[in-house]
Amino acid sequence: MIIGGRDFLGRLRRLYLPLAVFLVLMLFPFYWMLITSIKPNRELYNARIMPLIVHQPTLKHYVDLLYETNFLTWTYNTMLVAVVTTLVSVVLGTMMAYPLARLRFPGAAVVAIGVAATYLVPQPLLFIPMSDIINRLDLGNTLTAVMLTYPTLLIPFSAWLLMGYFKSVPRELEEAARIDGASRFQAMTRIVLPLCTPGLLSAGIFSFTLAQNEFLYALIFLAKSEVRTVPVGAITELIRGDVFYWGQLMAAALLGSVPVAVIYSFFVDYYVAGLTAGSVKS
Amino acid sequence: MRTRREFLALSAGAVAATALGPRRADAAPKAMTIVRESSFIKAFDDYFAKTLLPEYEKLTGIKMSYEAVSVGGMLTRLTTIVETKSGPEVAMTAINWPHLFDAGLVDLTDVATEIGKKLGPWHDNVLDAVVVNKRWKALPWGNIGQLEAYRTDWFAEVGVKKFPDTWEDLLAAGRLLKKKGHPFGFELGHGFGDNHGWLYPLLWSYGGREVDKDGKTVLIDSPETAKAVDFCRKFYQETMLEDVLGWTDVNNNKAYLGEQISCTNNASSILVVAKRDFPEIAKVTDHGMNPQGPKGRYHIINAVSHAVVNHADVAASKAFLRWLYDDKQMSRWLASGDAYYAPFLTAYDNHPMWNSEPRYLPYKESLKTSRLHGWPGPAGHALAESVAKYVLVDMFAKACRGDSTKDVITTAASQLKQIYKAK
Repeated sequence: MIIGGRDFLGRLRRLYLPLAVFLVLMLFPFYWMLITSIKPNRELYNARIMPLIVHQPTLKHYVDLLYETNFLTWTYNTMLVAVVTTLVSVVLGTMMAYPLARLRFPGAAVVAIGVAATYLVPQPLLFIPMSDIINRLDLGNTLTAVMLTYPTLLIPFSAWLLMGYFKSVPRELEEAARIDGASRFQAMTRIVLPLCTPGLLSAGIFSFTLAQNEFLYALIFLAKSEVRTVPVGAITELIRGDVFYWGQLMAAALLGSVPVAVIYSFFVDYYVAGLTAGSVKS
Repeated sequence: MRTRREFLALSAGAVAATALGPRRADAAPKAMTIVRESSFIKAFDDYFAKTLLPEYEKLTGIKMSYEAVSVGGMLTRLTTIVETKSGPEVAMTAINWPHLFDAGLVDLTDVATEIGKKLGPWHDNVLDAVVVNKRWKALPWGNIGQLEAYRTDWFAEVGVKKFPDTWEDLLAAGRLLKKKGHPFGFELGHGFGDNHGWLYPLLWSYGGREVDKDGKTVLIDSPETAKAVDFCRKFYQETMLEDVLGWTDVNNNKAYLGEQISCTNNASSILVVAKRDFPEIAKVTDHGMNPQGPKGRYHIINAVSHAVVNHADVAASKAFLRWLYDDKQMSRWLASGDAYYAPFLTAYDNHPMWNSEPRYLPYKESLKTSRLHGWPGPAGHALAESVAKYVLVDMFAKACRGDSTKDVITTAASQLKQIYKAK
């Protein structure tokens, strides 16, 4: 089916205009970050000129950000933490979700509710005991501290999400694989997991984004500039008292979002493919 | 006379006590960390971290580290440090935090007394903020004052050559300035300082009080408060930009430097940034003290201070503070702060740092009339709760929005009674 019909006006009205509105809404924050990051302070503070246009672009905020702060180190730390945390959370979440969804054992329902309840405990209640544990392990001011604590939030979520996906895969498929000689592990890895790719990607994307944006644990556990992640590093050094270094903050936000955008653009095809897998006979 | 057996037992006990007992004061720790919220003046932080700490490290052999916490994050950090009994040994406190963390902080009375004798006396209005149950729980290094930053050129255009001395005169000037397209912009939203910076002084200057000294008698429902609220409504409606009701501390800086407003209540950050990025605005910016009302002139106090937490090596931490608060160090460090911090030690009242920019002098002068939020009530948890819930700010803001004076005061009184557990 061709959306909006074959004539150009119909397509313009029903496809391109809504698409353009959607595109503007989605891209406007990035445009705002971009123009703010290349405006000199004189323009940033001037309320009398058109704010959507840059009159005298400058790269000063980028130069200051890259040379006067530890931004590159923060970015490396953020990516490392996000990747490790995501891998750990998705793998352990899968290992938790599969038996809860597939195996019948006493207490499974209680464990499943426990998983959800764990996810619902707010961080402000947990940061003091977490901090105590991290200090006892002598992991303060190391990236390991956040790599260990983020999964406490992410594993329950991943497990809960994946349980739903695992339950949606017909048991018959797995049973057929078992009849054909596959072990339970093989049935899981070769039949169930490929069918649950959208769920795995959703859990991965969620974990990655949360690990990248997390603030409270990073604030508490990562006190030194050289071990900080972007959110804490940028706010500590680019907001001073009641003065925001808007240009550098927006430069940091824009540069910080680029790696995520690139990674997502690679995964989006698999994500969509996974969502529609099995919906039609090939 | 003791037998040989008794003597041996006593000796063994003494040796064991030495080995297992607390470390002697002269056994200095290998490392020490000082944590503070990152300063508005970057040079102030840099001088501390890159000059003073290496000097102390060289002097003592103790590895010194500085931890800067993001703005707004210090209270969370301090809570973690005190609750988990681990982390930095010396921590920044502000407003009335020494009262909130009393049990987790070391008594610094001896150090404060010594420093007071050498460089003092201390300005006595700081005592409310740092002395808890007659014990100094923190050593203040300076006050971040809140005064009026204003455009001298625009005020002169309407015939006001000197900053108005009373709220009524400021209102009159504001009316003229708003007509000329230069409104005022005083924060009435949920920020952290620029709202309390003028609303508490406004209340006090009309004779209003939140609560009495006893901390049990709520005094907000009074004719004096009503007068302050009525004035505030008029002041807002006739002089200000409408959106100040939603402002936080960053908005008035931006509006002033964007030449949208002619006057606001702020720390000296507006002038500091103007000198750096907007020299032509800096030339026509000056500071005025909070105007006086029928019952006097007041300012807010925010004593930024150093506290030592309980798990620290007390002797080593005190030794560091004694060294830091020695004039040889303190004088250089305060000078690097561009007069952003007004010291509470009278020896610095005539320090050369005040000479470099006479426009900062009102921040020093304002110390004499500065009081802690919630004054004259006790500086404990209830005060912190009242500030955190913006009881006073919301009372004024709702009146400016159009609610009746009676309603806003009744609501505030009810909240305060709940907070202070008053009858």
